[in-house]
Amino acid sequence: MTDPVTAQASLEAVLKDEIIRLYQDVADNPRGEYHFFHGREAAELFGYDPAWLDRAPAGALACFAGVGNPHLRSAIQPGETVLDLGSGAGLDAIIASWSAGPSGKVIAVDLNPSMCVKAQAHAAASGARLDCHPGRMEAIPVPDASVDIVISNGVINLSFRKRQVIEELFRVLKPGGRCSIADIVSAKPLSPSIVNDPKLWAS
Amino acid sequence: MFRLFEETGFTGVRSVVVPRFRFRKLATQNAAEAYGVKAVLFTATRPATA
Repeated sequence: MTDPVTAQASLEAVLKDEIIRLYQDVADNPRGEYHFFHGREAAELFGYDPAWLDRAPAGALACFAGVGNPHLRSAIQPGETVLDLGSGAGLDAIIASWSAGPSGKVIAVDLNPSMCVKAQAHAAASGARLDCHPGRMEAIPVPDASVDIVISNGVINLSFRKRQVIEELFRVLKPGGRCSIADIVSAKPLSPSIVNDPKLWAS
Repeated sequence: MFRLFEETGFTGVRSVVVPRFRFRKLATQNAAEAYGVKAVLFTATRPATA
């Protein structure tokens, strides 16, 4: 019988693969139909400024798969350092770069290295400055106390280790730094059939 | 997650439900509602002295 620690590690490895597969599929097939809203339709649903969406690179917008609008309360100021955790194809990071301006800095982190490549390409196409690092949200590849604000959109719910993720947010923020996080929460514990099914969890 | 933010040491933790969030597929939306699933926007601050 597999011990619980090994079983958990195995489940997390499968989940990681499933998350990469699902969101890579959205990026590769943005015209596909998913159980969640995505692309411009989702961004408009969550109140993104239409002027941003008109200005954003088409590829970044088409792949958008957020669950809300972290920019509503981010109040990013010129010159600030912003971290976008789980940046996907880069829409939120690019919008953040417009607020941070040329004296600011936007760091993006995504589990999937190929999404980082996409985000960098989308940023370059729009003249935005963005450094994307592949990495896990449970071990953010960013130094301690180095960012002014963390934004994230529909990502932390994917982790089995949410406490560790929140502790990482605390670690990377400068004292006085803040976060604006849109995410999915559940009022009731999810059933074991969902928790132990990476396809359902990733969705 | 609200509790996790507070327990980690964040202050000024606020949450507001994303009013228009829903799943595209009705079956998924119905299942989500059964579990009380919703999208929430959290804001929190690392204390200046921490």
